[in-house]
Amino acid sequence: MFKASIAAVSGALLLGAMAMPALAKDKTIAVSWKTFQEERWKTDEAAIKAAVLAGGNKYVSTDAQGSAEKQAKDIEGLITQKVDVIVIVAYDSDAILPSIKAARDAGIKTMAYDVQFEDPSALYITFDNIGVGRLMAKEVQKVKPAGNYAFIKGDKGDPNATFLFKGIMEVLGDAIKAGKIKNSCETFTDGWKPDNAQKNMEQCLTSTGNKIDAVVSENDGMASGVVAALKAQGMDGSVAVSGQDGDLAAINRVALGTQTVSVWKDATQLGKAAGEMANKIADGTAIDKLPGVTKFNLGKKGVEMNSILLAPTVITKDSLDVAIKAGHITKEKACAGVKAGSVKACG
Amino acid sequence: MASGMDKSAEPAKAQEGTFQGFLRATELDTRLLGMIGALILISVCFHLAGIWRTGNGIFLSPRNLWILLVQTSSIAVMTTGMVLIIVMRHIDLSVGSLLGVIAVIMGYAQVYVLGPWLGVGHPAIWILTILIGLSAGALLGGFHGYLIAYAGIPSFIVTLGGLIVWRGAAWAVIRGETVAPMDERFELLGGGPLDASIKATGSWVIGLVVCLVVVLAIYLGRKSRQKFNFPLRPMWAEIFLGGIGCAVTLGTVLLVNSYYFPPKLANEYAERYNIPIPEDGFLLSKGFAIPVLIAAAAAIIMTFVATRTRFGRYVYAIGGNPEAAELAGINTKRITLLMFGIMGVLAAVSACISSARLNAASNALGQFDELYVIAATVIGGTSLAGGVGTIYGAILGALVMQSLQSGMTLLNFDSAYKDMAVGSVLVFAVWLDQLYRRRSN
Repeated sequence: MFKASIAAVSGALLLGAMAMPALAKDKTIAVSWKTFQEERWKTDEAAIKAAVLAGGNKYVSTDAQGSAEKQAKDIEGLITQKVDVIVIVAYDSDAILPSIKAARDAGIKTMAYDVQFEDPSALYITFDNIGVGRLMAKEVQKVKPAGNYAFIKGDKGDPNATFLFKGIMEVLGDAIKAGKIKNSCETFTDGWKPDNAQKNMEQCLTSTGNKIDAVVSENDGMASGVVAALKAQGMDGSVAVSGQDGDLAAINRVALGTQTVSVWKDATQLGKAAGEMANKIADGTAIDKLPGVTKFNLGKKGVEMNSILLAPTVITKDSLDVAIKAGHITKEKACAGVKAGSVKACG
Repeated sequence: MASGMDKSAEPAKAQEGTFQGFLRATELDTRLLGMIGALILISVCFHLAGIWRTGNGIFLSPRNLWILLVQTSSIAVMTTGMVLIIVMRHIDLSVGSLLGVIAVIMGYAQVYVLGPWLGVGHPAIWILTILIGLSAGALLGGFHGYLIAYAGIPSFIVTLGGLIVWRGAAWAVIRGETVAPMDERFELLGGGPLDASIKATGSWVIGLVVCLVVVLAIYLGRKSRQKFNFPLRPMWAEIFLGGIGCAVTLGTVLLVNSYYFPPKLANEYAERYNIPIPEDGFLLSKGFAIPVLIAAAAAIIMTFVATRTRFGRYVYAIGGNPEAAELAGINTKRITLLMFGIMGVLAAVSACISSARLNAASNALGQFDELYVIAATVIGGTSLAGGVGTIYGAILGALVMQSLQSGMTLLNFDSAYKDMAVGSVLVFAVWLDQLYRRRSN
């Protein structure tokens, strides 16, 4: 069966080679996607493809359709095609490892895109997730350097909620110890649900008698519940509120002043960086010599990997135009209901 | 077993204690008293725990109880329908997802369709939005009912499918985006803004009207019993019931009126209506919140439907014995279809409350609500075997659940323990109910 697939793939390769004689000396960058069921990967693909083509290379892709088995076969096929670099969005970060070894044995470089798999030969490229927590805390602290803080954390079953909180505490820990900032309420939110966040915030305001100066909410959806609870007490706009995801409604809240910051992980930015790195690797740059490479060993197994951790975009009142210019949100949506002259990007 | 007990019932009457005598005279439901007792016990415990932990009890403060009522209203509206569904020996697992998809449809309609078409803030937007939501609810619920009644698919399966399908549909309508903000008038349905509660005077008017209705109902009830020669309650029991009814109503009015708007909002209100602000600050009572009034209206209407209409009697008849009901000439299929249609409409009402309260519509809205609605219904004494259940019981059940949750949040409990407590209370309540039933048989 293995032979049969080699025959089939080399047949395909032959066809491909005949169709592309002019680009014969150019490199081929392949992407193995885990699924296209989720909308966001289309954004990533467009960005990677554009960067690869801009570097004069060829782009091919496979879709594992949400199956670890299909993804293993996809990568087997790409190895036989002798592509130069395989960028992988792993469906299962353990089941993918034999395929990575097969690629390494064939002398093909691999990249882990957004989802980590722990193989030291691969380059891991993603957004700095601990950094998201740090950025949220920093922006809130800028506005309210001292006072009573409420922490609305995500679902207790999701390691990301704790992960983010680690980053938040890295920033605020000293101020809390020094007594400048008081941790007045801290609660997990079942299912990251906005309406649960609203209830938790209402209880927090009741138990503290409205003595809250800032709320660190771990995402934008929950921030919408927090702002609704604050609004019922006439406190929206005077209390600092954080969030992440770059939700369109959250960006509008940032413009209106009811939310302080939304940390946004721009898929286009990640895709572009990955495409450019793949071009460099294909041209023979060693992975540990790539610009911006750092060592990362915070995965499940603690394997040390070369990684590129992009800083997410911070959207505040002052940097609102970044999201508009990137085409993430239209100006009308971002600025709906904003008083003329109060926000620079809205005019 | 039951007939053996019946014989001893007569002599027991002679030796019953004062409490039994009191219950017999007032014809109060002991289970109802039990629920109210549990609710009071929970509140007092949380209040004392608050005093012990932080020095001041918050649970029984007007502010917390006011918020508690608002937080319960969305679930309470849906329990009024769920009672009748379960009484009919069906179940509706899809209400949370229905709420989600209808909220998203209404959000989409007001922000992306009606807003641009009529102009943002147009006074017709909220009415059209509600009409769209209610029709969508009737349509989707009726569709479930059709599949259950006429295609013969068990309600568990149809609504389990609905639970998954409508949650997916909610995502598909806006591709997972959160739609915000809602129309200003629509937002009032959630109880958040300044105008979303009816202030002191309005609350007193409603309280007095309810009081009058209670007294009138007792009077008319006594007259019709006299007319048909039914046994009458003793006069003192009638007065007692009327007094309690009025006291509870006016007490609630007093409660919601002693929660005041924060000063900033009160001053905003004073400025808008040109009310001079006194030296020591302007106190503006909240009064009943609109979502609480909606929930109360839903409870009254559904209780009326269940106990005073032919439709309601058929529902209980079907629940008691479906075959017998069918043989007696009740069109059980039509009743089933209608009942699920009504459930859909109630889910739409809850969708209005939830999305207005959050001032945003997201596809996560209403997730797991079906579990809370069913749990509240069952805690409130509705039997999953069908035929038995009351709407006021279910609403008390919803209040018990919300009290537990918000009480523990006030005490900064870890949410893991909250879930464990709420789940245990569900099982415990049903166990108590079983004990009660066995004893009263």
